[in-house]
Amino acid sequence: MNAHVRNCASGMIAFAAASAAFPVCAFADEGAGINAILPQMEEFIPMLVAFIILWIVLAKFGWPLFEGMLNKREETIKNSLEKSEEARQESERLLAEYREQLEGAKTQAQQILNNAKLTGDALEKEITAKAQAEADAIVDKARAQIEQEKENAIKELQATMADTSIAVASRLIGEDFSDDEHRKLIERYVKEAGSLNG
Amino acid sequence: MANRLVINETIAAYANAAIDGANATGGRDAVVEVRNQMRQILGFMATNIDLRLSLDNEAYTAEERQALAGNVFDGYNPVVKELLGVMASRCDAALFRRVVSLYEDLIESKLNFNVVDVTTVVELDDNLRTVITNKAESDLGRDCVLVEHIDPSIQGGIILSTGDRYVDASVRTQFDKARIALKKKDGGEC
Repeated sequence: MNAHVRNCASGMIAFAAASAAFPVCAFADEGAGINAILPQMEEFIPMLVAFIILWIVLAKFGWPLFEGMLNKREETIKNSLEKSEEARQESERLLAEYREQLEGAKTQAQQILNNAKLTGDALEKEITAKAQAEADAIVDKARAQIEQEKENAIKELQATMADTSIAVASRLIGEDFSDDEHRKLIERYVKEAGSLNG
Repeated sequence: MANRLVINETIAAYANAAIDGANATGGRDAVVEVRNQMRQILGFMATNIDLRLSLDNEAYTAEERQALAGNVFDGYNPVVKELLGVMASRCDAALFRRVVSLYEDLIESKLNFNVVDVTTVVELDDNLRTVITNKAESDLGRDCVLVEHIDPSIQGGIILSTGDRYVDASVRTQFDKARIALKKKDGGEC
């Protein structure tokens, strides 16, 4: 590397020296007409020599360096492209894998949803049936309680009516029956009564 | 403690002595009167424990117990008075209930008639007596003597009883049956 640098530096110095040796000749005598654009041989030769030297120097020292840089750059780009391709393929593979997993996940999620729906439906039916049963039991119990209370009320009413009726009848017989009516009642009862021997 | 057979014989002796004595002195009327008075005394003794215990109290002499019985039951039929005096003197007053029971049985078996207790709320007239007597004699197949009781608590109707036989045709009982029937759920039948 240092050698190449040194060679380049040498070429540059040679070119500078050649240029410095013939400056007056190159721009000293400008003619008119076509001569204005045609090279002057006394200028052209040194320029050509300097160019050739420069070309040789560059071909010898500059071009390989440049070519190496290009190759290195090419290698780098190539590696980058390869890596990029690998990355792309890996990405596609991963993408495919992810898609597959996603599809599986979707299927699984759907299955879970279906199962959840089935479970939910069954649970809903069970809860509904249980609630219905409990409601029916409560209604039945309430009906039974109402029936029992109704029966108790009827019994109580019957008892009250019975007691009242008997009390009224007792009072009527006790207060309104004359002795003769009592005797008639006794006679009727004696005739209707069961046997003393039975 | 005396033998059970001896006790039964003692009771039979008391009952026979009483019924024979009553029958000899006044016939059926005396027999019935003695029976009624003995039942009345049973009631007294059931509610008066001092009287019952005093008649069997061995702290007194036999003469004192007999005198006690004579004083307490003075005015009763002499047969009753004598019977209780003897029983008290022998400390047998506790047997009096069984003596009365046997006495009533002897009326049937020995004298061949029944004493029928008739309970009403009003006094019986002759017609009713005849009707009741005819029914009792028809049911029992022998002569019957009615013993009348007035009890307003039966409210009306009649109760007939003799020995352990019993016919309750009182209004009170009819009302009780009616009350029970009315209190039944279906209303029952009166």
